[in-house]
Amino acid sequence: MTKNFVSAAELMSRVLGMPDYKFAIIDHPVSSANDEGLQKRAQTVIDALTDIILSDEAN
Amino acid sequence: MPIHVLDPSNETSPPIGELAPRLNSLAGKTVGFISNGKEGSKGFFRHVERILREDYGVANIEMRVKSNFSAPADPHIAAEIPQWDAVITGLGD
Amino acid sequence: MQLSSTIHEADDFDAIQELYHSHGWTDGLPIVPPTPEAVMACLEWSMLAPDHLIGVEPVRERPITAEKLATNAVMAGCLPMHFPVVVAAITAMLQPEFLIHGATASTGGCAVLLILNGPIRLELNTNSTFNALGSSDRATMVIGRALRLILINVLDVRPGEIDRSTIGHPGKISYCVAEDEEDSDWLSLAEQHDIPKDISAVTVLAAGAPRQIMNEWTTKPEEILETFAAEIRDNMRNYSIWPGNYAIVVPKQLREHLQAAKWSKQDIAEFIFKRARIHRREWADVGKGSVVRGRGDTEYAALESPDQLLIVAAGGPAGGFGAVIPPWLGPKSHAVTLPIGACLDCGPPLNREKIEN
Repeated sequence: MTKNFVSAAELMSRVLGMPDYKFAIIDHPVSSANDEGLQKRAQTVIDALTDIILSDEAN
Repeated sequence: MPIHVLDPSNETSPPIGELAPRLNSLAGKTVGFISNGKEGSKGFFRHVERILREDYGVANIEMRVKSNFSAPADPHIAAEIPQWDAVITGLGD
Repeated sequence: MQLSSTIHEADDFDAIQELYHSHGWTDGLPIVPPTPEAVMACLEWSMLAPDHLIGVEPVRERPITAEKLATNAVMAGCLPMHFPVVVAAITAMLQPEFLIHGATASTGGCAVLLILNGPIRLELNTNSTFNALGSSDRATMVIGRALRLILINVLDVRPGEIDRSTIGHPGKISYCVAEDEEDSDWLSLAEQHDIPKDISAVTVLAAGAPRQIMNEWTTKPEEILETFAAEIRDNMRNYSIWPGNYAIVVPKQLREHLQAAKWSKQDIAEFIFKRARIHRREWADVGKGSVVRGRGDTEYAALESPDQLLIVAAGGPAGGFGAVIPPWLGPKSHAVTLPIGACLDCGPPLNREKIEN
């Protein structure tokens, strides 16, 4: 989620019955970021991925 | 004498969701991207794909773009998710 | 009839206000206490059981019952006779093509414009003339407000929560207008949807704020409508280029010129369809040059077809003012028109005296 939408994501997690749902947080906004900014945001997501998608054994 | 008034809120509980099983590794896997198609998203997902392939050995990326960024993913996209090992989507602009 | 909502107790009117405000159940304004009797009166008038399912909000699977609509309608100031309109409007908003979640959650911050047609306007003593888009009359104010309270309380569309509106606009307090069918030669908006004149109807549109135009210097239809088209072109440049259900509000002074020249709503829509267009390169004139991207010659139309234009006859008898009401975001949400299905010709229910005592 971009930073400014974190509260929306948390609310949706709650209302969809998964209050502890994990997500990655990247800088806002994406729409006006340059390529370097987009790359940084992509790396942030990947860094969070291992915790979110992979099992404890994989980590 | 107290006044009785009704609760205006929905008062129903949401359905309980369930996490899909976590993966042991991303190597050789298929990862789906569900993009809202907003400005910047193409470049962003291009970088995510590159890193996943180069650093994590992901074999296949399925890129899907929602037809309406203000609505949930199209039913035909959601129907594909079970065929993927993982999916990356987001919220923001 | 058995109500199922939790019953809260408070000592007096002031305590009720603080109770509801503290729970986030209001729009910031005082509310009318929704007593069981008042809520039952709305349900009896509409002949709806409390647990009658009006619909389900599809993204979060939230059921919407008649009881909850009635509770919020009472809070807004609705009397029982206003309630069938509220039910019809929410039913229309729950149609898939309206896209209620997107329309109410978006950063675009639109409100729900509600247009009334048919005999209900006279029964509710609405006012289609002076101040048509402002606080024109009790009925349109409270009905419009009820829609917002329902969104807040039944669907949790609160600022910073589901409602991500960056700016929003005052239509989110109440945004309801009754079309002037008596002082117009045109087909009403409902009649254009093949709803007979003696049937009441609602139209809902996910709408931006009204953009007022003024042209008192001509009687020629093309020139009057060019001003409306110019305002639409500005909206395309400054807000959103995408086509959708624009609405225009045409008051008496301008209507008289158009109708004297025998222009029908169809003629107007075809004119606007042709004239409300810009080229992508015009974005560069308003600080958006970075997204022109070599496609400057691409032409964009405000309407995908003339049928997308909603033309509403409303406004006071003097003044060459009109309004352009843009859609939330192009064709993402479509206007929905529905007849009002409740039994409006029935008298109050026979056991009403029992409830009042």
